[in-house]
Amino acid sequence: MNYPVWDVLFGSGLLIALVAGLHVFVSHFAVGGGLFLVLTERKARRANDPALLNWLKAHTRFFVLLTVVFGAVSGVGIWFTIGLISPSATSDLIHIFVWGWAIEWVAFFIEISAALLYLYGWDKLPPKLHEWYGWIYFLAAFFSLVVINGIITFMLTPGSWIDVHKFWIGFFNPTYLPSAFFRTAICLALAGIYALITASVQKDAELKARIVRWGAMWTVPSLIALVPLGWWYIHEIPASLFLSARGPMPTATHFASSAWILLAVTFVLMLLAVFTPRRLHLVFAVVVALVALGAMDSFEFVREDVRKPFVIENYLYDNSLYASSMPGDGGFTVDNLSSVGVLHAAHWINQRAITAGNQVEVGHEIFRVECQSCHTPDAYRGIHQLIEQRQWNPATVSAMLTGLSLMHNGVMPPFAGTDAERGALAAYLNSLQTITPNPATFTNGKLMFENHCSMCHQDRPDDPLFTGLDPNPQVAADSLKDLTSLFPLMPDIKLNQTQRTSLVHWLNTQRPAGKPGAASSSATQGGN
Amino acid sequence: MISPSALPTIPTIDPNPLPAPYWVLKLLLVATFYLHILAMNLMLGGAALALLARLTSKGNPMRGRIFVDVAKKVPTLLAATITLGIAPLLFVQVIYGQYFYTSTILIAWPWFLVLALLVAAYYGFYYVAYNGKRRPGAAGMVLFVSLALVMLIGFIYTNNFTLMQTPARWAAKYFAAPSGWSLNLADPTLIPRYLHFMTAAVAVGGLLLVLLALARWKHDREYAEYIFQFGGKAFQFATMAQFLVGVWFLISLPRDLRMIFMGDNPVATAMFGTGVLGALASIFLMSEALRKQNIRMAAFGVTGITAVVILCMSIMRDNLRDAYLKPYFQPNQFAVKTQWAVFPLFLGIFVGGVILWLVMLKRYGLFTSTRPTEE
Repeated sequence: MNYPVWDVLFGSGLLIALVAGLHVFVSHFAVGGGLFLVLTERKARRANDPALLNWLKAHTRFFVLLTVVFGAVSGVGIWFTIGLISPSATSDLIHIFVWGWAIEWVAFFIEISAALLYLYGWDKLPPKLHEWYGWIYFLAAFFSLVVINGIITFMLTPGSWIDVHKFWIGFFNPTYLPSAFFRTAICLALAGIYALITASVQKDAELKARIVRWGAMWTVPSLIALVPLGWWYIHEIPASLFLSARGPMPTATHFASSAWILLAVTFVLMLLAVFTPRRLHLVFAVVVALVALGAMDSFEFVREDVRKPFVIENYLYDNSLYASSMPGDGGFTVDNLSSVGVLHAAHWINQRAITAGNQVEVGHEIFRVECQSCHTPDAYRGIHQLIEQRQWNPATVSAMLTGLSLMHNGVMPPFAGTDAERGALAAYLNSLQTITPNPATFTNGKLMFENHCSMCHQDRPDDPLFTGLDPNPQVAADSLKDLTSLFPLMPDIKLNQTQRTSLVHWLNTQRPAGKPGAASSSATQGGN
Repeated sequence: MISPSALPTIPTIDPNPLPAPYWVLKLLLVATFYLHILAMNLMLGGAALALLARLTSKGNPMRGRIFVDVAKKVPTLLAATITLGIAPLLFVQVIYGQYFYTSTILIAWPWFLVLALLVAAYYGFYYVAYNGKRRPGAAGMVLFVSLALVMLIGFIYTNNFTLMQTPARWAAKYFAAPSGWSLNLADPTLIPRYLHFMTAAVAVGGLLLVLLALARWKHDREYAEYIFQFGGKAFQFATMAQFLVGVWFLISLPRDLRMIFMGDNPVATAMFGTGVLGALASIFLMSEALRKQNIRMAAFGVTGITAVVILCMSIMRDNLRDAYLKPYFQPNQFAVKTQWAVFPLFLGIFVGGVILWLVMLKRYGLFTSTRPTEE
């Protein structure tokens, strides 16, 4: 709201996913592949293997055309894209780490220059000197990785930077090391995977087999190393954050599983390639690469997802509000907006007052500045679909807006604004509905749970919804009359008698046998 | 700390202080922009002249050679343009982020599409570099497309950087179309400013040919003399045309902004005077050099003067931006907290990087006359 919000119909987040998802797959290859080039060149020269050397020459051209062109442009592209979609976060990261970016730029400049000289120098330079360019290239590329790693990990685990605001504290943050090792292993794994692609089109089956085996020596150990390194990485992420990927947040959970599964599939495919290296086909090589791409992007999605609702953990929300007030925050905090109002504080709102006639339009503007960094009205994370799927009526929509920060392990920022503004937002969200909620679903306890409770509560015996509910069905149903009295942060959803009864009935069928609900302890659910 | 903005849509500055004094960041911005624009001029001008040579190569094998020869340099020059463009893009966000991010979002789609256009143009240039000799027809077409794409990118940049400095235009543009499909076409300075850059690129592209002539002067005199004439004339015509385009640009500016170059701002006026005189001098010196077949006079004299002229223009460009933003932007609005724990490290790495880079070029043989000819 400090900046205008780019209104992308299908969801601006998808653009970041597209650009970054492809970039990381090439940029990590650019690092590992660099070491691969220079070590393979040395190996080929020592073994006096002109066939391997010839292949490596062609592989270098493939490497440079992919990394220097697509890799470099898409890297700048991530920066272009985040500036369009999260300008406040981009600005913060730029200001906090200017000299980090500038240092990385020097490394990048050396990297690109060395890559071109290495490519053009194949037939002109003495072997030792040529390898020297290869080493310069790899070291510059690796240096660039370890610099960027500091900034990327900072976003997830800024650690005590939040208190002291010192460059190196933020840079060498809690996940710096595991991430650096984890990504290095990815780089080495990708070096072997990409080698399969250019190896597969070789006609000389013996040469092809040599390359595949050599590539596997890079990929197989690296894939195995990713397991303990991944465990270490997860271990350094605060458990409360990573909890999102263990069930409460559907996307993070889904990507966490797919990351491990696709990693395993990559491993198996790589072994298959090693067992039949002479028959390696281009299609197979591309499939291995695509599966590895899926594994890698799943990991990146988990990293991005568990950080939610923040772009910079505990500092800046996804919708560009600061987590707490500080000098220079421009008033862009939840507390301030809730007291003075979005319409007053936001710079990029056209209508500054709510009238009887403009509620929906104002709500749309509030949606744009507060929600649209992650949601769309009708497409990616579309509100229209969310509301209809859950059969929410207008009162429920309005009530739910008070409980956003509790949903899915707290992946959303709280609504920031006055009650009237929340009403306007609810009016807009309701205007997206094209169906009338079907009352029949209200007599089905399971659906009641899924549609009204499952955003915050889990279908698990230790969830406060089960542990805190009175064992007597009648008393339990009555206690649901006023949800805020159970827990003040709960949305004030008004359920009728039928709904309450059917919900309690279903909940009781879910209780583990012999474990009646404990006395009310619902106040402990605050961490949900 | 925050000066009240004259317009409600101007974003509040970032809460994190500047990590170095304002002047350091400004110096880095202008200096790295200068390097970027030099590379851009060489790349775009080189591509334009290679295309011109290709289009006029019928019955003229020398022109065909120029096409192949120059087109081979373009991918590397584009790599330099991009790499050197990152630094000014970083520093402009540090100092002018409030304006830069906003205008960028208003033209978000064109700005985002720069990425796709750039990748396409880049691969096109590589295609031409690798296939110019074997398939000149197809390569010529691809070069045309790639050149058109980088010119389109330049146009999008001009839109962004003019819109960035005119915040009064923002609100109407955004609230009419928040989907980011706007450009800044209504700005009367847009076209002359854009042409000013493009014309400069052709002139500098001419100097690229002069430098290539110098490198081939001893071993391949006939060809070297030909590209010297071709490049030198292109430089002269483009620089003469620049006087017309430059005047158009100047009169398109609002009067109070134009006056910064005519006395109101001593630095801007000095840069303007030096730039105009330097451009005039370079035209005469080039014509002398061409008449006397004096390649060194052109390669060192004219190139040297032009390098100074472009530096003056880069500073003027910055002066003009500050003049545009004067009602809203004051350098003293920033809190400054120099990051002494890392800033010296950057300087050290920067100097080390430059030295390493020069060693890399030297060991490759780029500074000796026996350098390997590039593939």
